[in-house]
Amino acid sequence: MHPCSREMQGINYVLNPSSQIPLQDLQNQQHQQIQNSPFDPSSSSNDDFLDQMLSSLPSSSWADLKSPWDLNPPTSLNIPINNSSAKPREDETPPSMPENVGFHNFDESVILAAKLRQHQISGGPSPAVAAAAKAMLQQQLMMATRGGGLPQNDVVDGSSFKSPTRGDGSVQALYNNGFGAGSMHGTGQASNQSQQHFHHPQEGSLQAQNFSTPGAGAGMAMNQPQASGSTGGAPAQPRQRVRARRGQATDPHSIAERLRRERIAERMKALQELVPNGNKTDKASMLDEIIDYVKFLQLQVKVLSMSRLGGAAAVAPLVADMSSEGRGGAGGGGDCIQATANGGSLPRTNSNSTQTPSSNDTLTVTEHQVARLMEEDMGSAMQYLQGKGLCLMPISLATAISTTTSHSRNPVLNSNHHSLLHSNGEGPSSPSMSVLTVQSATMGNGRGDASVKDAASVSKP
Amino acid sequence: MNPDHHSSLNPSSSLKSRFTKTFLRSLIKINKQRPFPYCPREIFQRCHRVKTAADKSLARAAGSRRVWSRAMLCKIRNRSLRRGCQQRPSVRRIIIGYQTTKKGYCLQKKMSDDQEVGTDQASKLRKLVPGGEAMDLCSLLDEAAHYIKCLNTQVQVMRRIADIHSS
Repeated sequence: MHPCSREMQGINYVLNPSSQIPLQDLQNQQHQQIQNSPFDPSSSSNDDFLDQMLSSLPSSSWADLKSPWDLNPPTSLNIPINNSSAKPREDETPPSMPENVGFHNFDESVILAAKLRQHQISGGPSPAVAAAAKAMLQQQLMMATRGGGLPQNDVVDGSSFKSPTRGDGSVQALYNNGFGAGSMHGTGQASNQSQQHFHHPQEGSLQAQNFSTPGAGAGMAMNQPQASGSTGGAPAQPRQRVRARRGQATDPHSIAERLRRERIAERMKALQELVPNGNKTDKASMLDEIIDYVKFLQLQVKVLSMSRLGGAAAVAPLVADMSSEGRGGAGGGGDCIQATANGGSLPRTNSNSTQTPSSNDTLTVTEHQVARLMEEDMGSAMQYLQGKGLCLMPISLATAISTTTSHSRNPVLNSNHHSLLHSNGEGPSSPSMSVLTVQSATMGNGRGDASVKDAASVSKP
Repeated sequence: MNPDHHSSLNPSSSLKSRFTKTFLRSLIKINKQRPFPYCPREIFQRCHRVKTAADKSLARAAGSRRVWSRAMLCKIRNRSLRRGCQQRPSVRRIIIGYQTTKKGYCLQKKMSDDQEVGTDQASKLRKLVPGGEAMDLCSLLDEAAHYIKCLNTQVQVMRRIADIHSS
């Protein structure tokens, strides 16, 4: 129990690097435990080791740790003391005493945590951290396989990887797997566990590499074999081999397919957060939303670039989509465009009244023309309108604009659908936004089309 | 670790500030060039110029690490080259050559991909995102996400400028 709680403390220490557990306190606690522990015969020597270790810490450099890892770590690494102390202890204690081994591993974990903390304080480069952490990890692994202290080491590996890397999710998975592996430690499957340990730090190192190069989708692939349960007796090879799930094919095509699909899924998830109304579960509808949103944003840019000219007479036509989503998008866009129009237009000193009945003839002609063009192609209809200095917008927007901009004027739109108001505001003295309102020409002509698909309104503020 | 590795090569400035700086500079240049246009044709030209400036400064601010920003800059350059006199045909040839080779390779790859997601939607998205023609779906989605982010900043900044200008 006691070492386990200590271990948890150590893990907490690593997990919360910003926590204010100073190194000194931990060291003090460790000192006390060393003295109180009945298992440790050489407590005084431990103190010496600790002192030496701590004194060597500030002068330690990551370059030392990055030196090529070999099977004799005491010679190459900077903490020979720990290794030499570990060895005799391992020889002394049989593997059937997990507490002592756990305590020994806790020692290393504390050292690792201390080193990481120190490194964080000194602000070392991140790839160096990853590489060094990997080296430390592998060293610990070797110690573990030699001593058989498996579960705690695994946990430490998982936790120690948390600090240098940023990806909490997958490291958490590694961590949890460590606990899972640890739960089977008493069954005497030493070899199997050692194989798993080979697998875990290898994946951890892969993760470390991948997190130092963000965006590498291939890194996620390596999480798959980790998440999948081993189908019994999987070969422990340090090479990168993808393990198959139960009942799924292992041929490279399907694996590649799976990878591709997962990559697409995560990209869609990222897009979901960006796009408003992104709570659609269906991929197709999500794509529709994305497309509409991109169109809407591009349209906004266009309109804003027009309005910046101090309220030009010719405003870019707004796209009034047929679908309801388009209506929603355009409605949303319409609101802000209205705002920019209100903001962009110069102060309206002249209150012009709309010239309704006089130019009705020309307007009906325009109406027919636009209706005809709209049936063929919206783009050409828009261009036609733009050439005339008019634009197309939904009815809701038109009402909104007219009610807000007109002070004492009669409402632009009657309930009668046949009204058409048009004014070309192109006078140099009144650069204001003019908007064309054309009710749905099909309705205007009385063809009996019930649905009002588009409506554009012209109003001169 | 670089938290905003997507946005900036220069860690001190953000996408927004870079875009604003470039865009304002180009706006000032546009305003200096001509007097306030009165006829609609000139207005339209000016609008177009403003929009091009906005797009160009956005693409520059996004950095050349993104496919869409490179494609947008190439498009703008091609358009200006086409419109202007053919002073540098070699440059144009190089640009076009780069585009076609990339397109050729990537189109083959596209055809070999199986069409899981709706292809018409994918093609629509390809048309919307600059440079989206020559990309597989996975990177297309990635580019689309970054493009949406940049467009959002662009719209915000332009709206602020418009508000300030009008008030």
